[in-house]
Amino acid sequence: VICDSLRVTALVDDALDAEDRAEVEGHLAGCEACRAQAADERQIRAGLRALPAPELPFGLEQRVRRQLRGRGRLSGAVRLVLPLAAILVVALWVRGYAPFVAWELSRDHEHCFGMERLPAEVWGSEPEIVTGWFGERGERLPLLPPSVGRLALVGGRFCWLPDASRLAHLYYASDEGQVSVFAVPHAVRMRDEYTTSAGGNAVTLMRLGRTVVGVVGENEEEVNVFVSRLRTNVAGLFIDPPFVQ
Amino acid sequence: VVKRDEAFEAEVLPQLRALFGIAYRLTGNAHDAEDLVQETMLRAYRAFDRYRPGTNARAWLFTILHRLRTDLLRRRGRSPETVELVDDGPPVAPVHEKALTSGHEEITRALEGLPEIFRSAVVLRDIEEFTYAEIAATLGVPVGTVMSRIHRGRALLRTALSGRAE
Repeated sequence: VICDSLRVTALVDDALDAEDRAEVEGHLAGCEACRAQAADERQIRAGLRALPAPELPFGLEQRVRRQLRGRGRLSGAVRLVLPLAAILVVALWVRGYAPFVAWELSRDHEHCFGMERLPAEVWGSEPEIVTGWFGERGERLPLLPPSVGRLALVGGRFCWLPDASRLAHLYYASDEGQVSVFAVPHAVRMRDEYTTSAGGNAVTLMRLGRTVVGVVGENEEEVNVFVSRLRTNVAGLFIDPPFVQ
Repeated sequence: VVKRDEAFEAEVLPQLRALFGIAYRLTGNAHDAEDLVQETMLRAYRAFDRYRPGTNARAWLFTILHRLRTDLLRRRGRSPETVELVDDGPPVAPVHEKALTSGHEEITRALEGLPEIFRSAVVLRDIEEFTYAEIAATLGVPVGTVMSRIHRGRALLRTALSGRAE
């Protein structure tokens, strides 16, 4: 019988199927050399198994944790910042999106005129008084008409946009209806004029100089008249804030 | 992130001692072993999404460690694979009268004297009690190769421990 030392190793490791195992064991019974190999390998196995585990270097676990935490925090930060950045980009994009601006102005119009008492911060039918009040607060407004048709200037206030910028809101009112005029404090992506209906109101955004002015009212006709009046009479004319450069 | 970190902590960190043990047996010193362990943990952390919880975390870590170790040796120009091409192993030690030396120190020294390619297989089998199939998966070689490496590794240890090495 030829010795198969490889299979003796497999026998020691209990890696043979029943048939091979019986065969190798049978061989071992009559072969001193293979018997010695098996005995030695078993002893080596036992010896290796009995070796004390090398001592863990002091502080290794802490060092590993620290290293991982560093990575974790970094990836955590990236995971947190990326969505925020995406939200910011979308928010900036939305901010300048004309339909959104129209919707926002319509909402402000509803909000102010929907109150029991108009929440004006400045009252006045004289455009100079009202624009003067805004001018003192650094807001440059177009030259406003005291009235358009039956709509007369009543006053105004600063409203707040979702991005916490302030929005000059001017009130025109008559017995039948109301119109709001807004000076939008940021850029809007549109041509010279953008007209839509938003939140149940007619809304027109128009460029006057570098400012986008929004006109909002329940009555589309009134809004159109107001817009053409602003265009023809005061196009491009702004009153500089009298006290603020 | 938190959930993933918790899972990593629960599944992987408890293997640190075993991981260091094998790293130490492969590198032969605590410093290189620690470097290897740190790098392995980092890789494991990055690849943790591909680990299926509840499976053999130790085998998974050893596979990563082995790959890192192989890459490192290759970069140093010491490919462990070349050893295999040399011959078909040392002759089996002949029958001998006296018993093998069994002191920890002698065994450790004999183990350190093994070519790494045999040492890794023997350590996985005899210290970690991996099966041939598990070792094959960890080292990325066929089961037959695992058997032959263990066989040759033990034969070398036998020679060293029987006092006939010189």
